[in-house]
Amino acid sequence: MPVVDVDPDELRTLVDTNKDDDELREDLFALGLEFEGWTEDDEFQLEFAPDRLDRLSVEGIARSLRYQYGTDRGLAIPDTNSAEWTINVEETPPERPYVTGAIVRGLDLSEDALDSLIQLQEKLHATMGRQRAKGAIGVHDLTMLKGAPAKDGAQKSITYTSMDPDDERFVPLESNDEMSPREVTESHHMGSVYAELVDGMDRYPAIYDDIGLFSFPPIINGKRTEVTENSRDLFIEMTGTDQWTLDRMCAIVCYSLAARGGQVERVNVEYAADAPGELAGETLDRPDFAVKTKTITHDRIETILGISLSDAEAIDCIERSGLSTQDEETTAGEVYEVEVPPYRVDVLHPIDIIDDIGRAYGFNELEPRYPDVSTVGGRHDRSRLEDAARDTLVGLGFEDLLNFYMTNEAENFERMNVAPDDEVVGGGDPVTILEAYSEEYTILRTWGLPSLMQVLENNTHRQYPQQLAEIGLAAVVDENENTNVAEHRTIAAAIAEPEASYEEARARLQILARSFEKDLETPPTEHPSFISGRAAEVVLDGKSVGVIGELHPSVLVEHDLEVPVSAFELRLDGLQ
Amino acid sequence: MQLPDAQVAVLKAADGGENRPITDIAEEADLKPETATQAAFALEEEDLLTISEQTTELIGLTDEGESYVKGQLPEIRLYRAALSAGADAEPVSMGEVLGQADLGGSAVDIALANFARKGYGELDSGQLSAADVNPDADPEQQALAVLAEQGEDATRESVSGEIDDETLDRLTDRGLVSVTESTERLVKLTDDGITALMEGVEAAETVDKLTPELLTSGDWEDVEFTSYNVEADAPELQAGRKHPLRQMADRVKDVLIGMGFEEMQGPTVDADFWINDCLFMPQDHPARTHWDRFALESPEKIDEIPADLVDRVRTAHLEGVGEDSEGYHSPWDEDFARQLALRGHTTSLTARHLSGEALGDLEPPQRFFSVEKAYRNDTLDATHLLEFFQIEGWVMAENLSVRDLFGTFTEFYEQFGITDIQFKPHYNPYTEPSFELFGRHPETGELIEIGNSGIFRPEMLEPLGVDCDVMAWGLALERLMMLATGAEDIRDVHGTLVDLEYLRTEEVLY
Repeated sequence: MPVVDVDPDELRTLVDTNKDDDELREDLFALGLEFEGWTEDDEFQLEFAPDRLDRLSVEGIARSLRYQYGTDRGLAIPDTNSAEWTINVEETPPERPYVTGAIVRGLDLSEDALDSLIQLQEKLHATMGRQRAKGAIGVHDLTMLKGAPAKDGAQKSITYTSMDPDDERFVPLESNDEMSPREVTESHHMGSVYAELVDGMDRYPAIYDDIGLFSFPPIINGKRTEVTENSRDLFIEMTGTDQWTLDRMCAIVCYSLAARGGQVERVNVEYAADAPGELAGETLDRPDFAVKTKTITHDRIETILGISLSDAEAIDCIERSGLSTQDEETTAGEVYEVEVPPYRVDVLHPIDIIDDIGRAYGFNELEPRYPDVSTVGGRHDRSRLEDAARDTLVGLGFEDLLNFYMTNEAENFERMNVAPDDEVVGGGDPVTILEAYSEEYTILRTWGLPSLMQVLENNTHRQYPQQLAEIGLAAVVDENENTNVAEHRTIAAAIAEPEASYEEARARLQILARSFEKDLETPPTEHPSFISGRAAEVVLDGKSVGVIGELHPSVLVEHDLEVPVSAFELRLDGLQ
Repeated sequence: MQLPDAQVAVLKAADGGENRPITDIAEEADLKPETATQAAFALEEEDLLTISEQTTELIGLTDEGESYVKGQLPEIRLYRAALSAGADAEPVSMGEVLGQADLGGSAVDIALANFARKGYGELDSGQLSAADVNPDADPEQQALAVLAEQGEDATRESVSGEIDDETLDRLTDRGLVSVTESTERLVKLTDDGITALMEGVEAAETVDKLTPELLTSGDWEDVEFTSYNVEADAPELQAGRKHPLRQMADRVKDVLIGMGFEEMQGPTVDADFWINDCLFMPQDHPARTHWDRFALESPEKIDEIPADLVDRVRTAHLEGVGEDSEGYHSPWDEDFARQLALRGHTTSLTARHLSGEALGDLEPPQRFFSVEKAYRNDTLDATHLLEFFQIEGWVMAENLSVRDLFGTFTEFYEQFGITDIQFKPHYNPYTEPSFELFGRHPETGELIEIGNSGIFRPEMLEPLGVDCDVMAWGLALERLMMLATGAEDIRDVHGTLVDLEYLRTEEVLY
């Protein structure tokens, strides 16, 4: 979840409030922003869910608080000046066809404001930008750009296009040397972090002005246009794989800079007729501050919140959410047409407006009530069977265990003398985990006994007798199943003590079988985990469902055990 | 007076004038010492005799002391060797004398230190001279002989005439003698005891064990049972018990069933379609591409997912549902949805139930739950395991409100002593409104996240064919257990690293 660092003093200034730190924290909690702790610079660390990405900066959080307090009401759109600049889009890499942009002038960037802008940029990359894969932001000092008119009498322009990874050279940020784009991805300390985003591209994304290459999205900007505290006019460009995402990210950044007193100026985005992507030949007027509308009924607000509201209260909550509305009577009852500002990326459906209304009203103001809904509860048959079997085992003196479903081939097979293609209990094609994070957990276990052996191995210093049992999941690959995996619950039980014998195990198995009215037979069998001549199939009502025997000395020694172990394992559904 | 056998024997053996050790009494009465002791305590209860304790100091030789009885103390051996080397006439080289005395190692230091202390001679620049003394009169050597003679019976009293305290202390300091205290119980008849004896006591028949014969013959009516030491600990037994986490799961299930919830079942290995896509989780959501997911290498994909449902889910992701809905601005790929993984949450079961895949179409009202495992490739720490139990619950009904949601949780958590729940507005891709639940730890008073909840979004419910409201919540069983029991680390609870001692001694839950 995103964490944003916010200076409480700066927040108070932007909100225009005298509330102390505790009051601020309480109000932020109600908005869904949780205080995680203090930074080294005495700033709030605020954590929140990744929906309200417009709150990734102190300016955005201040805006939300101003609405919550009623200082601001209703939707607001920053004024924009008409476009002087154009972004030409031609011959872009097909993997990254889209771009958007805006200019913000007249900024007086304090150190705090610059930090906030950098933080916003990073957080947007991490969330909406999907680590820059979907959208990457570049902010430049406008005065360092030189744009020749694209056509006679036309505007100044820059060009989003592509470049040969080796032919071009420029000085990237945090470097003093000219490098080729490929060198940047290979050896620049920041450039190499995102190198995989251009991996496999024939030509790399590039942005040129009249002077030359100044940005290599999504990897790094050029040093020439670096933004400092002295920068007053900024050029913002964003490139990526989805125009809507870029335009929303751009709106969030523009709102944030406008809150710092910046004047937003529009930019034209001209896609060449043969540009890749779905917008070839189109010209866009950016930033996209279009307002969308959602329609909600008064009735739905009331049923979701579980309270009665007057029109005025509903409208008050809507306006204190930074939205605007007019109510009207329709045949469907009272209805609100709600206008949603362009920085709200989370509003996908009218239900999201109702959530806003609830937050503005204060969800914690709502009185809990137990729903007047009558249903009958009960256990699933399988889990009742499992419980009855477990109770029987516990009654027989077995310690109930709870082991992991995930294990590895060594534990599941090799240390038990079993091979995956052995046609015995425990054999079978195991389900394997893709790019396993830990060598300990690479497959799902095919049987339960190996887990019990591990517990015995880890408890040789504890008092004997040790009687262990577990009912848990086991699985093998099975093409007859829809998921291609056959999962079943298995019962595994082991007795470890100097007197442990086949008979000891069978005595307990007999009771288990009898408890479920199953006819038990144990015809001799061979199983590599057990001593030859002391192993048998477990047959219940004529069906082979498991194995019983005395563990082979080689398996015991492998598990560092100095006492004999007898054990049985059978399918839980064998008792059904 | 009728008394049990043993008591009669003890009473008869005891004396009215003199305190007698219980061991003597036991020997005389032909009883085991513990039986005699038990009987004596019973008689003391009846005021027939008194029991007093006497402490004696037993003096014994250590192994080293024993070795000097025959071999003589090192300093004496040194003296004798010095004499035979002529050291009484003029000093001789120490090395020579030591060799003759057959002393080596630590015995050398012992010999030299005591040689000088006892005035057997002097040591100067490696030259040894012997004084004119009689080693046979050495009090320490004599004391050793006395102790050897008295053997195990030697006490401070018994040797007091022959060994003075100073010598005894010196020998103790030298580690040649050990002094241990031994307490003995002494019994003496009281006046009541003497009277009782004079009036006559006879033995009632007493038995140790109630046998089948005694019961069937009816002889049990004429016997007295010997008393046991009922306060003593019995030998340890190993009993079987349900795993503590399983006990917690049972408790949760009981509560939920009491609240009208029915249990769900379903696959652990499932298609991403059921785990995520049906929950309106965008395919480029970080949780779906993130390394914390356990995707499968083999097998890779599910065979069948219902085609019409796939179409509805795809449309919801791309365009939303209804007029004012827009969907996600990211692509949707059926192939990706078919990939298999270990479920990261048990909400996959909810999706299978709501769609009708599990039990057929469900008509409201319904309540369902599960307490089953979910799998996340998370960093292991005190509160996170790769496998954990998720409590999942949902309610389906017409017109459910946030207040119903709050009321259900308040009721649920109160069953575990967790009150004052706070609801923090939250975001989940599949619920709106959504809330994280916070509760106060009953012991530390700390505010702790105890669950995640919400009302399912229309974009999730409509494709699944549900046209009423469904509210749902989930939380980790381990976290509830930590809150309810004060446990601090779950790593030693779940899995093959479990300590049997923990399972055998952990307090039961109820």
